[in-house]
Amino acid sequence: MSSEPDPSANRAGSWGAAFLTTFTTVFLAELGDKTQLAALLLSAQSGRPVVVFVGASLALISSSLVGVLLGRWLAKVMPPQQLERLAGILMVALGLWLGRQAVLGLVPSPSDLPLS
Amino acid sequence: MPFALLASTFATVFLAELGDKTQLAIVTISGTSTRPGAVFAGSSAALVLASLLGAAAGGSLSAVIPTNALQLAASVGFLVIGARLIQRSSSTEAEESSAD
Repeated sequence: MSSEPDPSANRAGSWGAAFLTTFTTVFLAELGDKTQLAALLLSAQSGRPVVVFVGASLALISSSLVGVLLGRWLAKVMPPQQLERLAGILMVALGLWLGRQAVLGLVPSPSDLPLS
Repeated sequence: MPFALLASTFATVFLAELGDKTQLAIVTISGTSTRPGAVFAGSSAALVLASLLGAAAGGSLSAVIPTNALQLAASVGFLVIGARLIQRSSSTEAEESSAD
């Protein structure tokens, strides 16, 4: 049971750098996703939008806590180098998928283009 | 206190976010960083701010902000972080095998 942090992992950098990296990544990735939540908030506008917002925020904070804890657990049970590789592959896959979604949103579908 | 509304919103959003790409990103960042507190603070702040923006703009967020362009930027960020992680794991592997 070695839960001691790998000294070589300290190159991850300062608190601020980790905060900023996470904030930027999550913020940009999540922005386009927020239409659903906006609709949820709007649908509750007749009633109590503040309550809906508080509930939604608590849920988002909890889900990020689950994500962080899951990551820490993986870091404990997996060799760091294997985890880094797996995480890298997952990130590249997410990047490709997110990029595809964005490009599909930016570029009109081929059927809309005047081809003939 | 409208507890039922609070609980139903919480459950809806929480279930919708489970396994979402954002959460997967948080798992990978947290797993490969030594600062779980910073990762938690950063992701929570980003999620709440993004939903606040979404709520403020209503259904027309994409009319106010170029969300697709921002998502494209995010995808480039994902690719860069991913490539760096893969490269880091390979260089660690090389160091270890040369140390043996």
